[in-house]
Amino acid sequence: MIKKILIVDDSPIARKMLKSCLPKDREYEFHEAGNGLEGVNQYKELEPDITFMDLTMPVMTGYEAIEEIIKIDTKAMIIVVTADVQMSAIKTVLDSGAFMVLRKPIKKDQILGALDKAMDTKEKGAQV
Amino acid sequence: MSEQATDILSSDEVDTLQEIMNIAFGQSASDLSEVIDTHVVLSIPFIEFVKVTELHTYIQQHVKEYSKISIVEQKYWGKFKGDALLIFASGAGRELILLLKNDEQGSLEAGSAEILESETLLEVGNILIGACVGKLAELLNDIVTYTPPMVLVEEDARNAVPANKFDPDQTAIILKTDFNFEQGGATGFLFLVTKNESVVWLKKALQLFLEQYE
Ligand SMILES: [Mg+2]
Repeated sequence: MIKKILIVDDSPIARKMLKSCLPKDREYEFHEAGNGLEGVNQYKELEPDITFMDLTMPVMTGYEAIEEIIKIDTKAMIIVVTADVQMSAIKTVLDSGAFMVLRKPIKKDQILGALDKAMDTKEKGAQV
Repeated sequence: MSEQATDILSSDEVDTLQEIMNIAFGQSASDLSEVIDTHVVLSIPFIEFVKVTELHTYIQQHVKEYSKISIVEQKYWGKFKGDALLIFASGAGRELILLLKNDEQGSLEAGSAEILESETLLEVGNILIGACVGKLAELLNDIVTYTPPMVLVEEDARNAVPANKFDPDQTAIILKTDFNFEQGGATGFLFLVTKNESVVWLKKALQLFLEQYE
């Protein structure tokens, strides 16, 4: 089950947009962080089921935060939500261990697809 | 010298515009990275309201580390209208020539280095400005047209943007973003100087954009 969701983005509007795209019929527990460092700290404390991660952020970028989180938890489920859709950016984050990359502005069907895929992967991981 | 952005737009509207600018600039970087061989490092966009009479000084403040700059300028108009200024630090033109994937240096005759530099800046400028303004307009449901880009190569930074360039009675909304190229070290700033008359439309468009996410 995916229940605990951490959203890491420096833009309060982007966090709001993302939350509004998550299905309303499921009960999620939301946590938010405004930069990569806060994101890493919250990750340690909360161990969320899914982390949505922006890339361009002050204090600590998403690129660094992903690396830090993967160091703590190699199975972390990180979905990058970014405006930076350069091939080099996508490759870097996937190489660092992000699960997938979604392009801003976020849309409901993108999120639904990502959640299904993440759930699938998590269940498969649990069976092994 | 600059007014608080929140005097003209609410803080929600400023946040929204900033995020839209972020998305728009991501699009430009992605388009550009298909032409040049390096990752474009994006920064967090910044929104400020500046009196047009102070714009010249404002822009100068941002380029004061450089004695020479190159500028690509393009005007855009739709419901959203204004002037895009892409300012490159000195040497950027030559750096960009080296980064262009389809370099045609071989086919150009000696002595045309300056032409190649200005053409490269024009091309890069056109991609960055077009993708950024185009995406911004698209997200806000507008259609814009552009004047052809113009370029000033390696001008004295103090005089490159003349004080009388803009209509003095207006307040300009400045959307500014800095960028760096991972290789080659070229840096630049993109300023979108949007006319005050676009504000009424802009507020409405931002609200409509947000309503999709209520
Ligand atoms: Mg961001």
